[in-house]
Amino acid sequence: MTLRALNPRVFRELERPITTLGQIGEQTTFYGKALAGVPYAVRHYTRDIVRLTAEISMGAGTLAMIGGTLVIVGFLTLATGGTLAVQGYSSLGKIGIEALTGFLAALINVRITAPVVAGVGLAATFGAGVTAQLGAMRSNQEIDALEAMAIRPISFLVSTRIAAGMIAITPLYSIAVILSFLASRFTTVFLLGQSSGLYDHYFSTFLSPTDLLWSFLQAILMALAILFIHTYFGYTATGGPAGVGLATGRAVRASLIAVVSITLLVSLAIYGTSGNFNLSG
Amino acid sequence: MFSRDVSQPLRAVGGLLLMSVDAVRFLFRRPFQAREFLEQSWFVARVALLPTLLVAIPFTVLVSFTLNILLRELGAADLSGAGAAFGAVTQIGPLVTVLIVAGAGATSMCADLGSRTIRDEIDALEVMGVNPVQRLVTPRMLASGLVALLLNSLVCITGILGGYVFSVFIQQVNPGSFAAGITVLTGIPELLISGVKAALFGLIAGLVACYRGLVITGRGAQAVGNAVNETVVFAFMSLFVVNVVVTAIGIQMTPK
Repeated sequence: MTLRALNPRVFRELERPITTLGQIGEQTTFYGKALAGVPYAVRHYTRDIVRLTAEISMGAGTLAMIGGTLVIVGFLTLATGGTLAVQGYSSLGKIGIEALTGFLAALINVRITAPVVAGVGLAATFGAGVTAQLGAMRSNQEIDALEAMAIRPISFLVSTRIAAGMIAITPLYSIAVILSFLASRFTTVFLLGQSSGLYDHYFSTFLSPTDLLWSFLQAILMALAILFIHTYFGYTATGGPAGVGLATGRAVRASLIAVVSITLLVSLAIYGTSGNFNLSG
Repeated sequence: MFSRDVSQPLRAVGGLLLMSVDAVRFLFRRPFQAREFLEQSWFVARVALLPTLLVAIPFTVLVSFTLNILLRELGAADLSGAGAAFGAVTQIGPLVTVLIVAGAGATSMCADLGSRTIRDEIDALEVMGVNPVQRLVTPRMLASGLVALLLNSLVCITGILGGYVFSVFIQQVNPGSFAAGITVLTGIPELLISGVKAALFGLIAGLVACYRGLVITGRGAQAVGNAVNETVVFAFMSLFVVNVVVTAIGIQMTPK
C-alpha cells in the first residue's frame, strides 16, 4: 500500500493495460444492455420514442431554429456534392474526359462522400446533442433519480434513443443522398455548363441500385455506432459542466473515427479488391 | 414569430463576425499572448494528433481503393499514384484536418471557455481590465490555425504513403509508376491551396469555438453541452462552405 501511495504515477502506468481492457469490457456491457433494452423500450416507452424521433430529426434547442439535423446533414451533403463536381470536372478535364463527371457523381457520391458526410453530420448534430443531454442528466443526478424511482435508466434513456435513431436514419439518409446528387448535377450543368443530356446519360448509366442499397446499410451501421458511442460518453460523463463539454468533444472524436472505419470496412467487405464494377458495361 | 426566428441566427452570425474582427485587430496590438498561444497550440496538437492519424489512414485507403478500381477500368492503373496524391493533397488533407480540428480541438476549447463563462471568470477578467478577446480568443484562433496547417501536411504525407502501401501491396500497382505519378496532377499550386484551406479552416473553427464558449446562455451542464454541440455543427457547416468556395477559386487560379 505504501509503495502504491508513494509512486502513484508508476502504478497508474503499470495498470494502464488493465484499465483499458476494463473500459472495453464496460463499454461492451453497456452496448449489450442498451440493445437488450430495445424491445422493452418499444413496448413501454413508445411515446418517448416518437418524441425522440422528432427530436433527432429536427434537433433540439438553437439547432432546431435553423432546421435541425435534417437541414444540417442535407446542407453538408449539398456542399460536398458541389465540391465533388467542381473538383471532378476540372481534374477529369485535365485528361480530356470531363464528359464523365456524371459517372463520377454516381460512383463517388454513393460509395464515399454521401455515407461519410452523412455520418459526420449525424455525429455532429444528433450525436453530440445526445451526449450533451445525457451528460447533463448525469451531472444533475437525474439518472440516479430514475434508478431510485425503479425506472430502468438504460432502457428509458439509451434504448429509446437507439430505437428512435434507427427509425429516423433511413429517411434522413435518403434526403442526404438525393441532395448530393442534385448538387453535383446543378454544379456541373448550370455552373460549369455541361449539357444536361450528357450528364444524365452517364449518371443514370452508372448509378447502380445495389450500390445504393449497400450505402444505406453503411448509413444504418454508422448511425448505430454513433448512437452507441455518444450515449455511452454522455451516460458516463463526470466532472460537472466542463466534464460534459469534454465528454461531448471526446465522443465526437471517437465517432469520427468510427464513421470512417465503418465506411472503409463495409466497402471492402462488399466490393472486395476487384470493385464489383464495370465501366465497359 | 418569424422575425424572432430569423433575427436570432442572424444576430449570432453578426456577433461572430464582430468578435472575429476584434480578434484579428488584436493580432497587431501588444501585448501578444505568446505563452497562451504556445500552450493552446500544444494542447490542440496533443488532442488532435492521434485521431487525425486514425481518421486519415482509413480515409485514404477508402479513396485510393475506389480510385484504383476506376483507373483500372480505364486501363490507367499506372496513374493511381497521381490519383492518390491528388486526392490526398486537394481534398482529404484539408477535410480530415477540419473534421479533427473542429471535432477534437474546437470542442475542448469551447468546453473550457464555456465552463469559465458560466463560472463568471470571463466577467472577472473584464473587471480586472483584461480584454477576453485579446487574452483568450486571439491566441486560440492562431493556435488552431497553426495546428491545422501542420496537421494538413501530416495528413497529406499519410495519404500518399497509405495510398502507396494499399495500391502496391494489395492492388498490385507497379511501385515505380505509382511514385512517378505522384507529381503528375499535384504541384506547388495544389499544395499551397491545400495549406491555405487548412489554415483558414483552423482559424474559423477556433473562432466559432471561442464565440460559442463566450456567449453561452444559461447555466449548468446542459448549457455547456449544447454550446459544444453547436460549435461542432456550425464549424462543420462553415468549413464545408469554405471548402466549395476555396476549391472553386483555387481551380480558377491554377494555370491549366
